[in-house]
Amino acid sequence: MMRPVDEKESFAMEVETIVDSSVSSVKRYPPEMPHNGPLSSVAYSWILWRILKRLSKSIKVVIFGTKINILLPFGPLSIVLHFLTENHGLVFFFSLIGITPLAERLGYATEQLAAYTGQTVGGLLNATFGNATEMIIAMYALKNGMIRVVQQSLLGSILSNMLLVLGCAFFAGGVVHSKKDQIFNKAAAVVNSGLLLMAVMGLMFPAVLHFTHSEVQYGKSEVALSRFSSCVMLIAYASYLVFQLKSHRNLYHPIEDEEGLNEADLDEDEPPELSQWEAISWLAILTLWISILSEYLVDAIEGASDALNLPMAFISVILLPIVGNAAEHASAIMFAMKNKLDITLGVAIGSSTQISMFVIPFSVVVGWLMRQQMDLNFQLFETATLFITVLVVAFMLQDGTANYFKGLMLILCYFIVAASFYFHTDPEKDD
Amino acid sequence: MFFSLLAFLTFNLEETSFCTLGFLTELVNLRIGTKEKAIRFHFGIKEMSGKLRVGFDSQTSSKMGSMDGRSDHEFEDESLVSPMELTKMTNGLTGIHHGSFSAVEQQKSIDNINTSLLRSLKVILFTSKINILMPCGPLAVVIHHLTEDQGWVFFLSLLGIIPLAERLGFATEQLALFTGPTVGGLLNATFGNATEMIISVHALKGGMIRVVQQSLLGSILSNMLLVLGCAFFCGGIVFMKKDQVFDKAAAVVNSGLLLMAVMGLLFPAVLHYTHSEVHYGKSELALSRFSSCIMLVAYAFYLVFQLKGHNESYERVNEEGGQNEGGTDDEEVPEISKWEAIIWLAILTGWISVLSDYLVDAIQGASAAWNIPIAFISVILLPIVGNAAEHASAIMFAMKDKLDISLGVAIGSSTQISMFGIPFCVVVGWILGRPMDLNFQLFETASLFITVLVVAFMLQEGTSNYFKGLMLVLCYLIVAASFFVHVDPSPVQDKKP
Repeated sequence: MMRPVDEKESFAMEVETIVDSSVSSVKRYPPEMPHNGPLSSVAYSWILWRILKRLSKSIKVVIFGTKINILLPFGPLSIVLHFLTENHGLVFFFSLIGITPLAERLGYATEQLAAYTGQTVGGLLNATFGNATEMIIAMYALKNGMIRVVQQSLLGSILSNMLLVLGCAFFAGGVVHSKKDQIFNKAAAVVNSGLLLMAVMGLMFPAVLHFTHSEVQYGKSEVALSRFSSCVMLIAYASYLVFQLKSHRNLYHPIEDEEGLNEADLDEDEPPELSQWEAISWLAILTLWISILSEYLVDAIEGASDALNLPMAFISVILLPIVGNAAEHASAIMFAMKNKLDITLGVAIGSSTQISMFVIPFSVVVGWLMRQQMDLNFQLFETATLFITVLVVAFMLQDGTANYFKGLMLILCYFIVAASFYFHTDPEKDD
Repeated sequence: MFFSLLAFLTFNLEETSFCTLGFLTELVNLRIGTKEKAIRFHFGIKEMSGKLRVGFDSQTSSKMGSMDGRSDHEFEDESLVSPMELTKMTNGLTGIHHGSFSAVEQQKSIDNINTSLLRSLKVILFTSKINILMPCGPLAVVIHHLTEDQGWVFFLSLLGIIPLAERLGFATEQLALFTGPTVGGLLNATFGNATEMIISVHALKGGMIRVVQQSLLGSILSNMLLVLGCAFFCGGIVFMKKDQVFDKAAAVVNSGLLLMAVMGLLFPAVLHYTHSEVHYGKSELALSRFSSCIMLVAYAFYLVFQLKGHNESYERVNEEGGQNEGGTDDEEVPEISKWEAIIWLAILTGWISVLSDYLVDAIQGASAAWNIPIAFISVILLPIVGNAAEHASAIMFAMKDKLDISLGVAIGSSTQISMFGIPFCVVVGWILGRPMDLNFQLFETASLFITVLVVAFMLQEGTSNYFKGLMLVLCYLIVAASFFVHVDPSPVQDKKP
């Protein structure tokens, strides 16, 4: 642990003792009160000082710990811009950039907390907070009644996970290990993609029903069907979690162990850097901050679409998910380069499955509660794109090998999909 | 009506066929005698259980003692048993015993026939609990004539057909035990989906083309999602420690076949919906008929391929199937004689046919009475009836860790319907002059394609657990819900007879 030593050198001597005691109190909680004597005011000020130091260390770790946090000022900047100018394009752009580091730090805080809570709750945490950013953005869009944005951003998240993230990972890993094909655990990949395929199938029926114009009450029964399907999918997701965490714990242990060991590479060499309560409070702070920025982001979408002359579909499907997925993207590429393709696949496909089995149905249910007409009818083009993509990628993962060419193909397919959304407008008016 | 039919048959038998019965009995005995080892090997017949039996089976003399202790039902049994014993003891000595056999038979033939009929009635009607539902059938007929409440008629005839379908399966198995693997396989292939076929033919006759299409489609969907899902789920719950394993290769081959069959069924629909036919509406019908003939040829080859080229693997499955199907044949010999099996087959088919008539007539009225779309009734409710027996047996096999058989039942049934049932209906429609085609409308076609694709993909890795089963069942729920809110853009009945 080099950092406390550094701090020791840069602070005064009484800080040394405090730092020492605070270092040990990161591991254990019994507060050391060596000077618990008559001068309680001194003790109080010491406690205060210690808390401040711990806070500043924590801030150092969380905020200054990674280079990506250079982007952090963009967040407040976008808020300032929002109030000063009417330039929605810049507001949108800046808040987009501002959310990226927050999402990454959120993932970091979640990991840290997971290190304390053990496998089960850790898995649950990852499952819930893994896609927190997308969920938060979706909630805000729902509140504003921007149903299409919600649908398209979640769809785009799945597409980006399966094509862009996976493609970049395969490509980067293949370039680094260009001598031979990389291999991954075929069985797990097939099981996961089968699950994803079934989830997508569950999502598709309302859309297919609507587009064959064969509903009992045109428009209404399809919403009812979507709500019913969403409840069914949420039940499926709950049993998926139970299944993963209870019955087949052995299956998932190795990956989780590796994840606990390698994710962000911190836990391998070092014990968790944040205390449990620090992790929880950072989780709360980051979530709050992401919510605030998302609000500005969502408000600025329409204006940005006009200002930047981009179709809303493009913004929702391509740009928004990049933000939510940035952290996963980076970690997936890193794991691929370290030849740990199983984790990459777990991240990419697991995230897609989570979105399709949890976030999308959850949005429908939240929309139901908010009395918004959010449904699973993703319009024909999006639905077809989703189905084709999932099918093709599921097929491609079957042989258990990866090389840079496969990665390149996936990325290029993503470019084609992105281009088609660039030229895509909704047949009917938004919202 | 049922009992009068029975009486008629009894009289017929009494008057004209007792000799034939006797002769055939001996024939079967001889045949069994010579093939005894083969049959016992094939069907794993080890020892007799405590059930009643007609007395011709392939026991050796060492088992005679056990037989006596068993026939505790009627005194006539003993008399029936003894001539059979005599026959068995003298297996192979045809000349002398043929004569004495017939003499004995002639004296006791009437009694024998009566008791055998009574016994087979007992076996058929009273051994399975599901037969509690049997009175629903006649009740439905009665209600049909008394009231106009189509809802009740529909519901009761639905319930009434279920036990009949199950007994039909039982009779088919029993018959298959006598005919050997080849013909047995053929029998299973034909009568396996007899209920759905009968309902479809009646619907065709009534001009309800959409009902036919939807009920057959629903049968495939129910087999692939509901039956398979329930089997995986129940098996997974019972064997929670580990994943259950099934024969990946066989599953992949079968689902590939099913996928190809579905592809063959899809093209007329795709052609129609891309509005690219030469004669809008008509060429699609012609294409459907042509495709159906080709599919029937394919099905014939499929049977030949299964029964000849791959006899061994089929025998193995059949043997286990013969052992375990319905649970009644476990370590047992056939419970009814060959002719009884045939006769029961005919009776049950006739009775199912009668009930289907009322069922199909009541569909529209039930849809109006219960306020459910006809699509839902055809796709979800009707196939449940036809598949009830297979459903139960698939679940049972899964719980006994014999997933291969469950898969065989589910996917085999789907393949049969798509390669035989549907094309056969098209051809029958052609003969009857109805415009039955393979154009299943866009929503149904899309559902079918998606389902088959997804399930085929999911079966590829060869393992199953309760979660996969749950997912399949939930997907079926979603499909059922979408049919609940589904209305046909085109009318149900294209032609009134």
